[in-house]
Amino acid sequence: MSFFFEDSPSSPSSPKQAKHFVSFGCAFLFLSFFVFLAFTAIDYNWNWSSVFQYKKKFIDGWLISVGISFVTLFFSLIVGFLAAMGKRSTLLPIKYVASIYIELVRGTPLLVQIYLFYYVIADAAGVDNRYVMGVVIMSLFSGAYIAEIFRAGIESVGKSQLLSAKAIGLSSKQTYRFVIIPQALRNSLPALAGQFANLIKDSSLLSTIAIREFTLNAQEVNSITYSSFESYFPLAIGYLAITLPVMQLSRVIENKIRFET
Amino acid sequence: MKTPSHARLQFSKQVIGSLLGLLTILFISACSTPKDDSTLVVGMELAYPPFEMTDEQNNPTGVSVEMAQALAKHLGRELRIENIPFAGLIPALRTGKIDVIISSMTATDERRESIDFSDAYLSTGLCLLVSKNSAITSIDELDKAGVSIAVKQGTTGHVYAASSIKHANVLLFDKESAAVLEVSQEKADAFIYDQMSTFMNWKRNQETTTALLNPLKKESWAIGIAKSNEALLSEINDFLATFSQSGGFDSLGEKYLKEQKEEFEKLGIPFYF
Repeated sequence: MSFFFEDSPSSPSSPKQAKHFVSFGCAFLFLSFFVFLAFTAIDYNWNWSSVFQYKKKFIDGWLISVGISFVTLFFSLIVGFLAAMGKRSTLLPIKYVASIYIELVRGTPLLVQIYLFYYVIADAAGVDNRYVMGVVIMSLFSGAYIAEIFRAGIESVGKSQLLSAKAIGLSSKQTYRFVIIPQALRNSLPALAGQFANLIKDSSLLSTIAIREFTLNAQEVNSITYSSFESYFPLAIGYLAITLPVMQLSRVIENKIRFET
Repeated sequence: MKTPSHARLQFSKQVIGSLLGLLTILFISACSTPKDDSTLVVGMELAYPPFEMTDEQNNPTGVSVEMAQALAKHLGRELRIENIPFAGLIPALRTGKIDVIISSMTATDERRESIDFSDAYLSTGLCLLVSKNSAITSIDELDKAGVSIAVKQGTTGHVYAASSIKHANVLLFDKESAAVLEVSQEKADAFIYDQMSTFMNWKRNQETTTALLNPLKKESWAIGIAKSNEALLSEINDFLATFSQSGGFDSLGEKYLKEQKEEFEKLGIPFYF
């Protein structure tokens, strides 16, 4: 029985790799069995060849999704940093602008933000390029979450350090530059990687304003070929192909940080 | 005090217990057939006035809803209406979630490959809602580089665009309202959709759009039925014939489509129901 339990430091160790491998295999088979049951229960005529024909649409869509996510990540880091700083500002109007922005964005569905931003604000501003607007909307959306991640990172730096910084005569600017930001950034990294994974998934909602990203293209293949579920499999795999490595990366960073402190 | 191995044994009992529970639930849900045979389940997307829509109390209403009610009465079955997005209707029918589709659906050859259709009950055509300042004045000017055309996903307009439009940029939407907004804000030049909806959309956006109502492709609507269900198919065709003879469609047209009918007559565009 102990074969299926993770080694605790006290227990005698059995071959570790094999153990994890077998358990993973069991879990995988177990879950696959239920998925298989569910699929046999729906009595559906699978037609993979028609979906396979449209593989270029999947690839193009995937590249657009990943591209938008990377550009968005860059801008949302800037937006998030500014908003986090704004929220800590002692100048009250700035503080409130930042708080209102963060709360509004975090408190409303992304779908609503996309529609309002694209059809009201962007239209009034005269911006017509939907890809540019897509990146702007996603950056503002993700930026609010990143602001909170940064804020948590900044607050994780102990008070005693701030006092010490003051004691050795650092100015407020120097305290941020040499004490707070290096630590805050490091503490935020795992959460940032997780946010990036979310960003990739959330970008699927940009399909509602006809941005030809991964989800829209997959849905299009579904409707062109009159299939129902076939397209969703490449879709799931495509998202996993990028989110799994990102989440793995987040775990690696987390472990690294734990050893350093 | 419990030794670790006891704790483990208890834990594994719990794990096995909960897994068995999960297994039972999944097994039951996989085996049970949720369909009650006596109820006629009609699928439609309630976002297509005046055919499929909801009233202030959120009850389904419209031409197709009244047709469904008459059909259920004809068959002597209870009626349940399921609100399903248009692109999801055929999958729902194929997986047995619904019995028939009455959702202003055009009987096309592509769709016939996966489902069956009744006799047609309405003829209409695809036409264009064009943004006011667009250079497009006729259908022939549609397929040019630099033109963007909005379509709704899964509609015949989408199929038409996918097969016939080579140079223009096609924009896909899941909501009719988004596609109309694109045209009225000049983000898209034209929206390919059916005549009646195009007319209504133009009515609502007269300052920003023009309707080119001459059909670029004729099509007819029919009731969708799962493949090889001959009994239901002939019953439905019976129903359509009697309903048409008894003036059912005329009174529905009078009730829901009066304005469109008159306008179409004025423009000299045939309107069949």
